[in-house]
Amino acid sequence: MKLLTHNMLTSHVKGVTKGYPLLIKATEVKVNEVDFNPQFVSRMIPKLEWSALVQALGQRQDLPGELVADYEKDDEFLKKVHRVLLEVEVVEGCLQCPESGREFPISRGIPNMLLNEDEV
Amino acid sequence: MQNKDSTASDTITVTIGATVPTGFEHTAAEEVHEKIGVDAHVSKDRGRIYFPITTDKLFQVHLLRSVDNLFVVVDEYDHYPFKESKGETLNELQELASKLPWTNALEVWRLNRTLKKKKGYRKGGNGPKLKPSSETTEADGEQEEAAVESQTEVESGMPDTSSTQDAVEAAPEAKVIRFRVTCSRAGDKHSFSSNEAARDFGGAVQEFFQWKADMTKFDIEVLLNIHNEEVVIGIALTEESLHRRNISHFGPTTLRSTLCYGMLRLCKPQPSDIILDPMCGTGAIPLEGAIEFNSSFYIAGDNNDMAVNRTVNNVCHIQKRRADKGSASGLPIDTVRWDLCSLPIRTSSVDVLITDMPFGKRMGSKKKNWDLYPNCLREMARVCRPGSGKAVLLTQDKKCFSKAISRMGGLWRKVHTVWVNVGGLHAGVYLLRRTGAVFGQTPEDIYESRGTVNIQEEVKNENELS
Repeated sequence: MKLLTHNMLTSHVKGVTKGYPLLIKATEVKVNEVDFNPQFVSRMIPKLEWSALVQALGQRQDLPGELVADYEKDDEFLKKVHRVLLEVEVVEGCLQCPESGREFPISRGIPNMLLNEDEV
Repeated sequence: MQNKDSTASDTITVTIGATVPTGFEHTAAEEVHEKIGVDAHVSKDRGRIYFPITTDKLFQVHLLRSVDNLFVVVDEYDHYPFKESKGETLNELQELASKLPWTNALEVWRLNRTLKKKKGYRKGGNGPKLKPSSETTEADGEQEEAAVESQTEVESGMPDTSSTQDAVEAAPEAKVIRFRVTCSRAGDKHSFSSNEAARDFGGAVQEFFQWKADMTKFDIEVLLNIHNEEVVIGIALTEESLHRRNISHFGPTTLRSTLCYGMLRLCKPQPSDIILDPMCGTGAIPLEGAIEFNSSFYIAGDNNDMAVNRTVNNVCHIQKRRADKGSASGLPIDTVRWDLCSLPIRTSSVDVLITDMPFGKRMGSKKKNWDLYPNCLREMARVCRPGSGKAVLLTQDKKCFSKAISRMGGLWRKVHTVWVNVGGLHAGVYLLRRTGAVFGQTPEDIYESRGTVNIQEEVKNENELS
């Protein structure tokens, strides 16, 4: 699971109103090289929940808490974002609903978001 | 980079014919215009397009993602003067064999074979058999870890000059060429059958060239296409086989890549578009997108465990192939296991939804579709970006789909429909645009929240009235 995907995923357990963002508990992470496309990154940034991305990374990255002006022209910044969105992948672990605590397992990079009958 | 050593000093211009999924002829013509820079002609004989090309640019035809098979035209007649009687007609076909302008087409056939060799065969095979530019793999039904027999590369259409198969080139010219004739005939005014035409025309070709006829191990496949009064004679440049180029792990309903490509072109993926396939099966559509329209991001999802694992296997297979060639292997695609009627995705965050909806024949059931289609369309509308969002949906259950869509005018508008043929079934690819309305506030939303609606009942009532 890439962090770009994580940015889109939300908990849909019944009754939960604040199911986003999901907390990441990773036991295995890998990095995969992906071709850098600055246009892709700069256009994707406005579609993201930036704070959720920063939160997901915790202390491991040096992305600013808030976006600076003219980030589209800062190639160094765009490359950092590219790496974080597309190249870092959670292979094993789980995603936790921030409100209910329900855990969704991640295996082979695939998050299993299926709910049980009683949770729907 | 041009491939210079395989042509003589002059380049010649020939007409190339391509078979494409019926319904996507214009999409294919667009691709030809974009990648080769020429105008393609869409034939009246459905599923075929024709375009001119110079031999120095021949390798470009193998970069086309919307074509199933390619051939070079030997000659074509718009209004072939068929004789009344079978005997006379077949005689004429026989005489035709020695009069046709074979030279240029055969030159192109030879050139094409060189291109294929340079891409790098991994297996010897039975003589210089022509291989399709896309991957032919053995489908291994249910088992996950099937060994993949891939015989050509797909990634770049450029001949790989580092592989050394050139030495083999001399040999085939010395040995006897094997051929076969394949005839396709359509029209109700012909006095003969395709078998008879193939047999007689083939016999004459054999006489003329002194080639050896062989139905299974052939070097040259001569095509005789007869559609009413239109007759086209060609030489195949690809093998007759379905193009499932990206897929090594098949499922029960895997869509061929050319159809996936056609669907993707319909929605015109833009850089940074988030594209979701909520019922991805083996991942054929999002994977084709991640390769061919790679400035968008794809999320493939399914509720079925085997499906998501197959999707990941197919992605890994492509990534490994890229890594082996030294390129950056990562693809802009992820896979999630989810229930499409309750997507774990933020509202209004998806730019395009693209999927192959269950037909109710090989997968699911017609009865299930009555419930599934409306729920699915609503959930897709929720996650889709209002105003700019789009959906491209393939389904054979046109009645159920039309009914479901007609009740959702507040959320979806039909823009265009392409009628296609999928595994012998007549299906529709519907291009929809998401309206600007906020989800949960359209009249239908309010109406539906008042109680469950059974659209099967509605259609039944309508049928009884009409």
